[in-house]
Amino acid sequence: MRAITRGWEWIRSIARGRSLEAGLDEEIRFHLDQQTEKNRRAGMSPEEARRHALLRFGGREHVRETTRDEIRPALLEDSVRDVRHGLRVLRRAPGFTAAALLTLALGIGATSAIFSVVRTVVLQPLPYREPDRLVSVWETNRGGTTRNVIAPANFVAWRERTRTLEHLGMVGPATLAMIVNGQPDQIAGLTFSFDLFHAVGVQPVLGRAYTIEEDLGGNDAVIVLSHEFWQRRLGGRGDVLGMTLSTDGRPRMVIGVMPPGFTVVGDKADFLIPYGQTVEQLRAVRGRGSSYAIGRLREGVSVEQAFSEMRSIYADLEREEPQRNARRTVMLFPLHEQMVGDLRPAVLALAGAVVLVLLVACVNVANLLLARSAAREREVGLRTALGAGRARLVRQMLTESLVLASAGGIGGLAIAALCHRGLLALVGDRIPIPRLEQVALDLPVVAFTVVVALATGIIFGIVPAFVSTSHASDALREGGRHGGGRRLHRVLRTLVVAEVALSLVLLAGAGLLMRSFLKLQSVDPGFRADGVLTAGVQLPATRYGLPQAGSFFRESLSRIAALPGVQHAAGASCLPVPFACIGTSFWRVDHAKPADGQLSSAQVRPITPEFFGTMRIPQVAGRDFSDSDTVDSPPVAIVSEELVRQQFADGSPLGRRLRINVDHANGKTDVEWTIVGVVGNTRSNLDGPVRQTIYIPRTQRPAPSITFFVRTPQDPTLLAPSVTGILHSMEPEAPVEVRTLDDVVVDTIARPRAISVLVGVFALVALAVAAVGVYGVMAYSARERTQEIGVRMALGASASSVFRLVIGQALRLVVIGVAVGLVAAGALTRLLARLLYQVEPLDPWTFAVTALVLLVVATIASYLPARRGMHMAPVDALRTN
Amino acid sequence: MANERGDLLQGTLDMLVLKALQLEPMHGWGITERIEQWSESVLQLGQGTLYPALYRLERQGLIRSDWKVTQNNRRARYYALTRGGRKQLEDELAQWRRMSRAVNLVLEATIE
Repeated sequence: MRAITRGWEWIRSIARGRSLEAGLDEEIRFHLDQQTEKNRRAGMSPEEARRHALLRFGGREHVRETTRDEIRPALLEDSVRDVRHGLRVLRRAPGFTAAALLTLALGIGATSAIFSVVRTVVLQPLPYREPDRLVSVWETNRGGTTRNVIAPANFVAWRERTRTLEHLGMVGPATLAMIVNGQPDQIAGLTFSFDLFHAVGVQPVLGRAYTIEEDLGGNDAVIVLSHEFWQRRLGGRGDVLGMTLSTDGRPRMVIGVMPPGFTVVGDKADFLIPYGQTVEQLRAVRGRGSSYAIGRLREGVSVEQAFSEMRSIYADLEREEPQRNARRTVMLFPLHEQMVGDLRPAVLALAGAVVLVLLVACVNVANLLLARSAAREREVGLRTALGAGRARLVRQMLTESLVLASAGGIGGLAIAALCHRGLLALVGDRIPIPRLEQVALDLPVVAFTVVVALATGIIFGIVPAFVSTSHASDALREGGRHGGGRRLHRVLRTLVVAEVALSLVLLAGAGLLMRSFLKLQSVDPGFRADGVLTAGVQLPATRYGLPQAGSFFRESLSRIAALPGVQHAAGASCLPVPFACIGTSFWRVDHAKPADGQLSSAQVRPITPEFFGTMRIPQVAGRDFSDSDTVDSPPVAIVSEELVRQQFADGSPLGRRLRINVDHANGKTDVEWTIVGVVGNTRSNLDGPVRQTIYIPRTQRPAPSITFFVRTPQDPTLLAPSVTGILHSMEPEAPVEVRTLDDVVVDTIARPRAISVLVGVFALVALAVAAVGVYGVMAYSARERTQEIGVRMALGASASSVFRLVIGQALRLVVIGVAVGLVAAGALTRLLARLLYQVEPLDPWTFAVTALVLLVVATIASYLPARRGMHMAPVDALRTN
Repeated sequence: MANERGDLLQGTLDMLVLKALQLEPMHGWGITERIEQWSESVLQLGQGTLYPALYRLERQGLIRSDWKVTQNNRRARYYALTRGGRKQLEDELAQWRRMSRAVNLVLEATIE
């Protein structure tokens, strides 16, 4: 009951908060009048009565303050007043405000933008049923760390034998040539075991998933579409279920549409199709295909238990099928790890970078606030003298910082929105970052921004608020001179050092990444990418057998080669980067075949004649392929210098023969390939080693798809319309993908490029912010010492010695900051090791340049204040106060 | 700045204010006058402490205030005890009596 009464009174007092406050003055006046009246009646003169009343009452301002502190609603009211006061103060110092706001907006904006990415890409759980229980299964070389695709035959064995996993299924990339709205197009999707619908616990929103009969039964003329494909490409038509799509020339019926946003571990897929092979067919597949497996841990089974079971199953398979499984084993890890694992170092680097930017921004604003608080000392002193408590002053100053931080936060959100677009543009769809397109500035990100803004407001506000009120009562006593105090100066200097050190860490990290990227970019891939257009064509497999495809390619190549402006034209089964094309084992015919698991492996690339001329890969020895190398002529091969180095230390390889683990066009696997030429090395990965390479004629190892390479002295994109035109006129249903070879190569290093550009931008922001900070503090300190400088100059100090004095002080701080930063950077750049290519985390060159850059920038930042000091006339300097 | 209200004093002051309002609603000046009269001018309230106390008590819901017109036709804020305030006053009086009796017993104990 009492509590209710009290609560009611409290609410009433809040509601009347304003009138209470307004009433206090009237009340005090009334009180004084009554006292005066009483004094007068006691016989005093009116003036005397008034004076005594005032005297007795005590400090009115003090009464007001302490009374106000008793009124809870006043807290709110004071805050409103503080906010208004804060805005007024900020408006009065536009330069300071602009610098602080920009700094904060940049820091907060960058943080929010990166957070939005980290949240979506890394933190959010996979949108599956109980995603923690999903694991992915890969094969690997024993002791290896790279994930390799699995052999379907092994998959069948796992599926039968495992007791720890359920719903084990395969998934792998698939490309289908489809005619959509009359346009032939190459659509990327996935082959996806029917089991996986149960494993991930996601069913189509429309229609149904395929069944075991449609997958393992082989009745696989069905397709499940993505929601996006249905909406975007098929206009969301209502009769999608049951419609027939021509895929690679064979009809498939649409039986389902997946829910919007469905991905398989972040891989976008416009369709899902069954493997459509029986267990016996899968068991008979030679080689490894391009799939991995996903399974669900059974109730109560841990990842470790499943891993050890799978390892022992694999050990059995190794004994049973040594040719396929010798010296190999299995890898199993949580599905989320598969998506995030690769990205983690990059994302951590970016997150680290933005946190550093934010810290520099905070330190900088704290710095600016402090330097400015010196100018406000008298205000603070005055308010203290008038009875404002320290807590009250701190509160007011914190409110100001929060006002600043809120404005900065709003600016930050705007910048984040821009960054966000820039980020997506920079990354584009060149880098396969899972779920990137789902990144949005949604509520959690805004909430995060608000929290960050408030936190920064408190962080950068708290030190200045306490430092500048600590000696408030001295301010007036010192007769209005800027008495700043040693403590303020110490804090200012510490902040400058911190700022320089923090930005050095960031700059060093960015420098390392940039240098690593430049090294990567300058890696010689072994071919000349400029001036070459590539055009990938895939023929519908149902209408073209391999012989028909062969003549199609021969015909189209000769027409392309005849185009005006074409110097060379050739074809190959694969792009030179970033994949190995066919990775397989081989051995010399004149040597005994090594044991399983001891075989050398090479990348095998089927090509047409003129390929080396087109790509400018130097021919070192022997001959090129020619039109007389056909399916019926003796099998021939051209090898890379690296292969010669590793295999033919005993003399020329020309005329020697190799056994290669690939099918010849005549269907035989035991053919012997005679080496007829040697060419320069190429890399399929710029950051990878040079691997042994074997080129064979496409006529002897054909495929239903081809990539043409066209070298021209002009801009290669100019040839794109005519090349596409030729191919479409010959086969309107074949999708064609045209890109310059330069783009193909650049795309392979898009991720390191994006990371180094981003971190570089952050580092520049931090550098700019730090420069503003150093400038601000030096300007303040030069102004502070105006009188000292005046005295010195009056006593005969030269302008240059004054200059040296000011700049010397600045440089001392910067040097300390650089030293601290170098130590910190040395400790932190180790974390970047996984992102660096041929650059040591402690690369002395980078560190030296970074330190130099900071020194120069800081010197410039303190040059202006120093010069102002130098050019001051002594009289003016002395008159300032 | 010296703090004018020690904690001990504060508790006592609140009780005195509540007591002063026990009979009838009064304005701030009236309260100082009444306490001065009752204490035979021993307790002269520091005015700077009275108003904070009044606002505090009002916030705690022990008193409430209303603007009224005095006999001299001036507006003044009159404070009155709420039910909670009366209860609080009784509690504090009982507490005070117990305490002062105890202190008196100690101070006037005869030493043998």
